[in-house]
Amino acid sequence: MGGTVSGTPPVDRTAVLTIVGRDLRAVRRSKAITLPMLLVPVSLLVLLPVAVGLLARSAPTDSVQRALESSVLERLADPILQFPPRERLVVLVLGYLLSPLLLVLPLMVSAVLAADAFAGEKERRTLEVLLHLPISDRDLFLAKVLSAYVPAVLITWVGAIVYAVVANAVAWPVTGRLFLPFSQFVAVVAWVAPAVALLALGLLVIVSSRARTTQEANQLGGAVILPLVFVAAAQASVLMLLPVLGVVAVGLAVWLAALGLLWWNARYFTRDRLASAG
Amino acid sequence: MTAAIEAEGLTRGFASGLAVDHVTFRLEPGRVLALLGPNGAGKTTTVRLLDGVLTPHAGRSSVLGFDPTADGDEVRRRTGVLTENAGLDDRLTAAENLQYVARVRGFGPEGARRRVQELLERFGMGDRRDDLTSGFSTGQRKRIALARALLHDPELLFLDEPTSGLDPAGTRDVIALIDELAAEGRTVVLATHFLGEAGRLADRMAVLHRGRLRAFGAPDELASELWSGLGAELDLGAPPDEATVAALAAVPGVRRAEAHDEGVRLVLDDRDVLPRAVAVAVGRGCGVYGAATRRPTLEDVYFAIEQRIAAEEGELGTDGFAEARWGAR
Repeated sequence: MGGTVSGTPPVDRTAVLTIVGRDLRAVRRSKAITLPMLLVPVSLLVLLPVAVGLLARSAPTDSVQRALESSVLERLADPILQFPPRERLVVLVLGYLLSPLLLVLPLMVSAVLAADAFAGEKERRTLEVLLHLPISDRDLFLAKVLSAYVPAVLITWVGAIVYAVVANAVAWPVTGRLFLPFSQFVAVVAWVAPAVALLALGLLVIVSSRARTTQEANQLGGAVILPLVFVAAAQASVLMLLPVLGVVAVGLAVWLAALGLLWWNARYFTRDRLASAG
Repeated sequence: MTAAIEAEGLTRGFASGLAVDHVTFRLEPGRVLALLGPNGAGKTTTVRLLDGVLTPHAGRSSVLGFDPTADGDEVRRRTGVLTENAGLDDRLTAAENLQYVARVRGFGPEGARRRVQELLERFGMGDRRDDLTSGFSTGQRKRIALARALLHDPELLFLDEPTSGLDPAGTRDVIALIDELAAEGRTVVLATHFLGEAGRLADRMAVLHRGRLRAFGAPDELASELWSGLGAELDLGAPPDEATVAALAAVPGVRRAEAHDEGVRLVLDDRDVLPRAVAVAVGRGCGVYGAATRRPTLEDVYFAIEQRIAAEEGELGTDGFAEARWGAR
């Protein structure tokens, strides 16, 4: 009986995946969580592009031409000017203005799931059970982060595919071909969106692990995430107009910020803090 | 022999003040310890410190030979904890609430399924395994939580209020189970407000008050420190008159006699004095319906200690202390 165990143990993958699986199963059964995660993507990625795309399809083309040529974004508008004039508005709207809304998804899903994974455990009084299990603080943190991160990225990717199908279908009568995905779109979805999800998670973990209830976490999280949503929506259109390397560079910056934030969070994620915050 | 639990100057504070203040004790394996004290006494914090959930600000402890601060996972692998709240996720079924814990504790998928089924059946919940726990009663939730604490057959159990919220039959079953676990040689730490159940189960008691350990030991030993002599009760069916009480107090070997609603409470040198006291009562025309020596219970000891603490801290006068010595509550 007894002894001392030293050294850093490897990640207990079974324990981590078990907790991720348990969290995802519970989330799937929670309407309060699944409904917004279903309604927001459907609104942003299906209803909005259908409505706006139909309007853009039928709009006169010369005003678009003039706007693009005289714009301060003249150089950035080059990719759009390469399209035939009648396609420009629908491509501009669906390919460059609305598609960046995809970045709202990882922000929103991360926020909702992080609130459930951290503050929700406290609210349901299930956190104490986890704290008394033989799983290291690091592995517990990893499990809780993955519980929010994996669905956020998967939903974003599925959303991107759905969006591409919807946008191409709406634009088809004008373009007669698939215009999505183009390389910047792929780079944003595959490289930037996962980084944005992680960044949001990094911020939300700070908020959620200090909040006592999911509602409090959501309110505080909203205050943190909403500015990011505005920034994402406003800047992402420009992102789509950058060269692919530019998108990769922006993504890298977001990755570094997200990983830094997560590393900082992990240092302070201890049983002691969680139990003390009660 | 290595102690099951050894705490030395264990101290932990929060923003609100010290929750556990220089607690020192040693518990041998196989003992059942009743960790007693009013709300906020530091019972839950002590359990969290011993299971490595909280880090002490001073002092150290050893649980089953491991330091909970340095080797928390090793400790938690060997301990089972029943938290005061069942801690069930109501979005999961009874089986799911147990299965994930079993998997984290190292069971394979099939082993976890079998063990969960076995325990659900043992706790009479086999037919509810696939039901969401949101519809469960407090007693059913407690049973699931107990099953969860026992999944890995732990050497040491921390049970925080194991019978709170249970109906009498549920309470009886849980007490029988704890008895069974103790008989198997497991060490049990029972943090509870229910002194009756603690008295039935515990062979050691610890009284915490404002984070400080005010008493630790076997209830009998603590009783002998609190009271000299042997307690006895004479059931007279009615309060005795003053002259009878005085006559009983004058019997050689009777240290003290005190009237109560049904008779007299006595403190004797030894049990041989009791027949003489009965004879005096009968001689004075009292009907004696019963006479028995009475060993102090854990409950008596606990309240006497609490009253002593209150007297020491100026919350009671010396009369209160004197009354406590006589086991009055």
